[in-house]
Amino acid sequence: MSPFEKRAWLALWSQCPPYIVYFLIQATMPHGLTFLERIACLAVVASVHAIAYLAGLLAMKWQERGEPLLLDERDRAIDGRATRTAYFVMLAGLVVVGVVMPFSDSGWKLTNTALFAIVLAETVRYALIVAGYRRRPRLAR
Amino acid sequence: MPAEALTNEVRLLRFLAQDMTQAELGRRVGLTRQTIAAIEQGRYSPSLEVAFRIADVFGKRLDEVFHWNPGDVAAPGKGP
Repeated sequence: MSPFEKRAWLALWSQCPPYIVYFLIQATMPHGLTFLERIACLAVVASVHAIAYLAGLLAMKWQERGEPLLLDERDRAIDGRATRTAYFVMLAGLVVVGVVMPFSDSGWKLTNTALFAIVLAETVRYALIVAGYRRRPRLAR
Repeated sequence: MPAEALTNEVRLLRFLAQDMTQAELGRRVGLTRQTIAAIEQGRYSPSLEVAFRIADVFGKRLDEVFHWNPGDVAAPGKGP
């Protein structure tokens, strides 16, 4: 498996579970949390994400034993395609948050929707990177 | 069963070149071992420059290493 595919899997697995829990808590208890509780919840989720990612990255570096990480044309093409799609996901999310929602919502709803757009864009990017590496042979129609 | 549009002889040529490893070929053409494996399996079509470099490593012409089967590909704009 390519080291970049491994990193994409790591990013997906370290990011998705904590943020799924976070958004579930926020969705099921929209008025049941104080400001400090919400901040604490976000801090815990972000910390879990960061620690899981860094621990995984250190484990990978140890496995690679200082081998230089080479990026070739295939890696760049896969990353470029995934990033282009994720950019449009992010753009759509921020249009909703910055252009549409301010007329009807405010406060944490805006914050959480913006965070959701960012997490979704990142998830789409890493999922497309993984899919790019696992692409089946191109078949003629 | 549809055939692949672009096929290649990289695996065979590696074998004939004293069983050159994918990593060695990759090092000589500036690709990773995983990308050489993807090219051999038909999961990635290299750029023209890399295709020429691969052919050059084996001392072959481009069309001796990579084969294009135009008859297997639908014309642009036509439905399936």
